[in-house]
Amino acid sequence: MSAVASATTRRRVPRVGGVDLYSFWPVAVMAVIVVVTAARTSNYFTVFNFENILSQIAPLGIVTMGQAILLVSAGLDLSVGYNIAFAGIVTGLLLEHGQPLWLAVAAGVGAATFVGFVNGLLVAQNRAHPFIITLGTSIFLFGLDTQMTGGAPVNDMKGLYTAFGGTLPGGVPTLAIPFVAVVVLAYLFLRFTPLGRRAYAIGGNEEAAYLSGIAVKRTKVALYTIMGLLVGLAAMCLAGEINEASFNLAQNYELQSIATAVIGGTALFGGRGGALRSLQGVALWGIVQNAISFAGLSSNYQQMALGVIIVIAVMVTRAQR
Amino acid sequence: MGHEGALLEVRQVGKSFPGVQALAGVDLAVRAGEVHALVGQNGAGKSTLVRCITGVHAPDAGEIVFAGEPIRSWSPKHAADLGIAVVHQRTRLLPSLSVAENVHLGHLPTRGGLLVDRRAAHRRTRDLLARFGLDVDPTTPVSRLSMPERQEVAIARALFRDARMLVLDEPTAALDAEQASRLFALVRNLTREGVAVLYVSHYLEEIFDLADRITVLRDGRLVSTQPTSTLTETEVVTLMAGHRPVVRGAAGAGAGTARDADALLELEAVSTAVLRELTLAVAPGEIVGVTGVVGAGGHELARVLYGLTRPGAGRMCLDGEPYTPRGPRQAIRSGVFLVPEDPAQEGLVPVMSVAGNISLVDLKGIRRGGVLDLRRERRAAEDFRRRLRIATPSVATPVRSLSGGNQQKVLLAKALTAGARLLVLEEPTQGVDVHAKEEIHGIVRSVAEEGTAVIAVSTDIRDLLEFVDRIVAFRRGRVVADVPSGLTSYAEILDLTVGSAEAVAS
Repeated sequence: MSAVASATTRRRVPRVGGVDLYSFWPVAVMAVIVVVTAARTSNYFTVFNFENILSQIAPLGIVTMGQAILLVSAGLDLSVGYNIAFAGIVTGLLLEHGQPLWLAVAAGVGAATFVGFVNGLLVAQNRAHPFIITLGTSIFLFGLDTQMTGGAPVNDMKGLYTAFGGTLPGGVPTLAIPFVAVVVLAYLFLRFTPLGRRAYAIGGNEEAAYLSGIAVKRTKVALYTIMGLLVGLAAMCLAGEINEASFNLAQNYELQSIATAVIGGTALFGGRGGALRSLQGVALWGIVQNAISFAGLSSNYQQMALGVIIVIAVMVTRAQR
Repeated sequence: MGHEGALLEVRQVGKSFPGVQALAGVDLAVRAGEVHALVGQNGAGKSTLVRCITGVHAPDAGEIVFAGEPIRSWSPKHAADLGIAVVHQRTRLLPSLSVAENVHLGHLPTRGGLLVDRRAAHRRTRDLLARFGLDVDPTTPVSRLSMPERQEVAIARALFRDARMLVLDEPTAALDAEQASRLFALVRNLTREGVAVLYVSHYLEEIFDLADRITVLRDGRLVSTQPTSTLTETEVVTLMAGHRPVVRGAAGAGAGTARDADALLELEAVSTAVLRELTLAVAPGEIVGVTGVVGAGGHELARVLYGLTRPGAGRMCLDGEPYTPRGPRQAIRSGVFLVPEDPAQEGLVPVMSVAGNISLVDLKGIRRGGVLDLRRERRAAEDFRRRLRIATPSVATPVRSLSGGNQQKVLLAKALTAGARLLVLEEPTQGVDVHAKEEIHGIVRSVAEEGTAVIAVSTDIRDLLEFVDRIVAFRRGRVVADVPSGLTSYAEILDLTVGSAEAVAS
């Protein structure tokens, strides 16, 4: 009864194709930033600059897609930072020992996927909050990463650098390929596959999902495993791009990937959001960072700006309810 | 008003909620030192009256006078400050805190206003518990106490602040006979000290055992207040129902109408923590109404059928095959579907669309080459929207913006999508308006006509009688009646579920 009452008294929100317009606020903010920065500087609108943004956000964007999939199911993964490092180190060490590229990459991606699988098992079996489970995994991996490298980075990624460090003919960074592919696949996955649909159901109401006959545990394991796979891919991109692998290969990625997904409009507590919305968050993140360095300000201002954006995102989401 | 010596006086109190007049012109007077029982069927207004007295709801009309002063401010805290204490069926104690901490909650004695004086708290708690003959260590965490011990602690807490009136709401629901008699002794002690007790219970035998006077409510109105000594149980049931129970001797005699030969579901001597050797058979196309007071066994039966509770003993067969579901997944695969009591909490994903909720139970059905065919999903949902007349702006609307009745219809659409052979409904018409009720009855009947067996679990006997073929009544885990609904009446079933009339179980 009260739900009906509040629905009629609620302020009308302009809608486009079933989604209310406020969800697209990051696009508006991005447009403003782009216009302002372009007006004040001469070389902003260069192909090079946008390629630069693209290659900067690609690894984070890949992880954000995984985080979006987990958030939709009311899960999350705090171990992604050190799991990226883990995958990068595994690949790097194998390359250092003269193993072929395909084997090193398969082992690195496989290692990260395995960590995701274990996260899934632990979360599903213990009915514990994924926050604390994946925090545990994260701390474990930090120890493992430093142990494996002895604190010194692997600083020659050999064939991986050749593969991911450069650009395609036409100047598009190679990293754009896996990034765009992951965004498209994550979108299709969440919208068109039974597993993606189950993720929304579990995130929206786990009890109802269980009573509808959904294998809740199995679904969770599958989703965390997918996250592991994406982490492995992001690790290859990142380590290949900077030609290095160490324990701090992807510092703060766990929080940045959650922040970008939430900024884009994916709910922190499940049931709502998706790949394209989360992509908005990633894009805004990249454009703000870039604009601030264009303005000649230090990276400290980037952090401040990003903090403000996160709070605005929360306020917009609250206003929508 | 001539209620001399009444501690609590309720005068012409009315309360309505959107679409429902829950109370109208109710009078009630509770004297110091008496046990005053409040009885009535589900929906009679007992809970609303209790909530008005304990400050949860403000009445729309009339006044409530406590110890000569009209109550002007409505909050549970204000009621507690006045000396009105309430103990609910599900006691709300904090399990990780100790008995003493729970008793003193918000009023812990301190030293110098900063540090908690545990020793004083323990001493005071021990004294308080001793006063009621309770043998519980004040330092024990509440999580380690048994249910009846928790209840006693809750009562002690309620009385800690020198309450002059105690409201007990279904206090024996979780207790066995011996534990209940301990509670009764405690209640009698209290009245001797001059505390007024308002006692709400479904069970007439304990009311006749304990109460000095009985007030009967029906459909939100006062029916009568009389001394217990002038009433019989049958008379009280008559007052609750509004007409006399016609004992046709049919209860039990017609048991097992489901011809065992062609039964879809057969239970034999199934026992759980609640159910006692339940034997039951349901035929395809039959609608069986299962009733009883809260906790009597109806909902336990639903849980057993859906694999949420595993029976400790007994045998279940579905279509002649042994049926032992390990959870909803297996149950659905065997053709059993449960529509749970609270759609928003358990049945539906509130932020998901109508179409998404309907297809959730059978994603395989809308899959084409491994991916979801959203157009087919939408068509199926549109189909249900027309057939079941689901009032929604579109099938893409999130179900949380639908009314209760329409949410219930979405759940029924889900059940139809699941292709159930046995449909178990829990409180199918709870909280929906009269019109939606009739529509839901119609949907259930048409589902049954297509051969699906239906078990409808509800505490609303009158509602069940309108659409079921057969009524099975539970009382404390046992079947006390199994009759065709045409051969019984509301009053008879009510008598069997709440009275002490000896059960004629099959």
